[in-house]
Amino acid sequence: MAREKALLIDIKRCIGCLSCETACKQLHGFGTDPEPVLSDTAFTVVEARGDKFVRKLCMHCEDPACASACPVGAIGKTPLGPVVYNADKCIGCRYCMLACPYQVPRYQWTKLAPFVKKCDLCTDRVKAGKPTACAEACPVQATVFGNRDELIDEAWKRIRSDSSYVPHIWGVEELGGGSVLFVSDVPFEKLGFKPAPSGNQPMPTLTASALGDSPKVVIMGGTILSALYWVTQRRREVALAEAEEKAAINKIKGEGS
Amino acid sequence: MIARIKNEITLWRAIVAVILVTGLYATYVRFFEGFRASTNLSDKMPWGLWVGLGTLCGVGLSAAGFGISAAVELLGMERYRPILRSAILISFLGYLTVCVGYLYEIGLPWRFWHPIVMWNHRSVLFDVCICIMTYTTVLTFEFAPALIEKLPWKPLRETILRFHHKILIAVVLAGVLLSSMHQSYLGGLFLIAMGKIHPLWYSPYMHAMFYLSAIPAGLALTVMAIYLCMRSLNVRIDPSILSDCGRMIQMLLIVYAFFKVLDLISNQAVRYAFQWTTEAGYFWLEMMLFLVIPITLLSFESVRNNLEKLYGSCAIVVAGFMVDRLNVSINSLQTAMGTHYVPKWTEFASSILVIAAGVIAFRYAVIYLDVLPKAKPKQEQRWMSNGGLPAQA
Repeated sequence: MAREKALLIDIKRCIGCLSCETACKQLHGFGTDPEPVLSDTAFTVVEARGDKFVRKLCMHCEDPACASACPVGAIGKTPLGPVVYNADKCIGCRYCMLACPYQVPRYQWTKLAPFVKKCDLCTDRVKAGKPTACAEACPVQATVFGNRDELIDEAWKRIRSDSSYVPHIWGVEELGGGSVLFVSDVPFEKLGFKPAPSGNQPMPTLTASALGDSPKVVIMGGTILSALYWVTQRRREVALAEAEEKAAINKIKGEGS
Repeated sequence: MIARIKNEITLWRAIVAVILVTGLYATYVRFFEGFRASTNLSDKMPWGLWVGLGTLCGVGLSAAGFGISAAVELLGMERYRPILRSAILISFLGYLTVCVGYLYEIGLPWRFWHPIVMWNHRSVLFDVCICIMTYTTVLTFEFAPALIEKLPWKPLRETILRFHHKILIAVVLAGVLLSSMHQSYLGGLFLIAMGKIHPLWYSPYMHAMFYLSAIPAGLALTVMAIYLCMRSLNVRIDPSILSDCGRMIQMLLIVYAFFKVLDLISNQAVRYAFQWTTEAGYFWLEMMLFLVIPITLLSFESVRNNLEKLYGSCAIVVAGFMVDRLNVSINSLQTAMGTHYVPKWTEFASSILVIAAGVIAFRYAVIYLDVLPKAKPKQEQRWMSNGGLPAQA
């Protein structure tokens, strides 16, 4: 069993040099012009928040909302960590985009055969035992790649050794956690990290409860409706039989008189 | 007189022509130039008018089929049998428009069949796809007798109809369950967008709210359609059936209103309704059109017993329902997504084309098939049933 990989992003160390962004674009052959926000040709961007820099990229959730939402199962979490997208299955419904709590998946709106685009944590490189392109490019080790459990230890080490860090690793538990972890010396809320809408509960649990009820509803509804149908049929039969009886009695009476 | 009638014909024909031309052009743009050219959709608004109007309103307004077939076939409310077939036809055509709309919506329409073989049972959308597909088949079966009756050879006709009758109840039952599932799942789709949907609409019971609101809306559309058929296609239905439908719509709306208020209170969302925001404005528009005005109007016997007024009230219900679905699918998302989405004209034109095709198909089905009981056409009025004009009774 392969150990789950992850990225640790240290907002205190980041100098905003955009090396990660450029390396990502180069790897995917997108040119090197920096883009302000994620797009179908920018799977990671560095956003300035005050004097800090925050990387945006797919969070590679442990239980991803996009994967549970996809009607054809084109998105899945791999044991190695990356949440990967299978373009061969995708029908282009864009429900993953609506479902993603981080608004990460992007769509190729201009193409005639459009696909969903997002960071895949350099899954091919990771499979080959290499770090992601962004981690490799970072000159100050603000983004490091490694085993998730080791990175969590490393993050705590950084937090303990330097009191300016916020004593929290963002991404370990938020929405069930993911393979991208953040540490920071500025409170996360001030950096635009929204409080997780469902707390530490993975997003798919929200729909699971509604879907989980359906077998019960179907069985109960089916039974009740069948019972009601039986009652109405029975009533009809009884009414019919009574009418026949009455007719027969009337007939006898008519013969008698 | 003749000139006036001629004038009216050209007006309606002109409208149909405009819908056809613009709609076909929009369709061309959608399929040959792509989403960017044909829509204002973006990464911040991945679903727009096609989903909101085409799918959510389309399926919701087609809810009468399962409602009335359950009432008549399962609960023995024979009183509503005269309008059963028209309700099924509306649902059937409604679902066909949804299926066509699906091809516009998805980015890779030639892969429309993928959900049939590639399953993800955790996905609400997968369940919606499968339910809609199965239920469209059920509706085809339920509506089939209207076509089979027109088969030329009597023994064949009777054999098929006898078989049809034998399994009808099971199919109706399956249809009711399937409908109940996907009507609510359409609301369930948005459960996962927690944090994006404005609290006036987001609720852990969104799926139940969708289910409860669809039934009165579907019924209201059926009443509207039957009224129009009575006015223009020589259809004769006992008006008291429709006024009873009006009462039923009102009761269902009251039930929905009760749960909507309860839902708002339990989600602590009432305060958002009294803030000076766009969302609150849309919310009150929805509440007025879908609940307050129709419930008030339909409580008057004089409204329920007057076909025109009943029609007007039902039109308000349908409008309010559409506002509700568009609120959930578009307006409630805009603030959280940080965008302002106004559909492109091509989105409207293609949606209207598909809906118009459904309406025209309904009209011809009523004319040529035994969907609704018709008065014997008088010879000199024959042209009316062909011209689609109001009967000059």
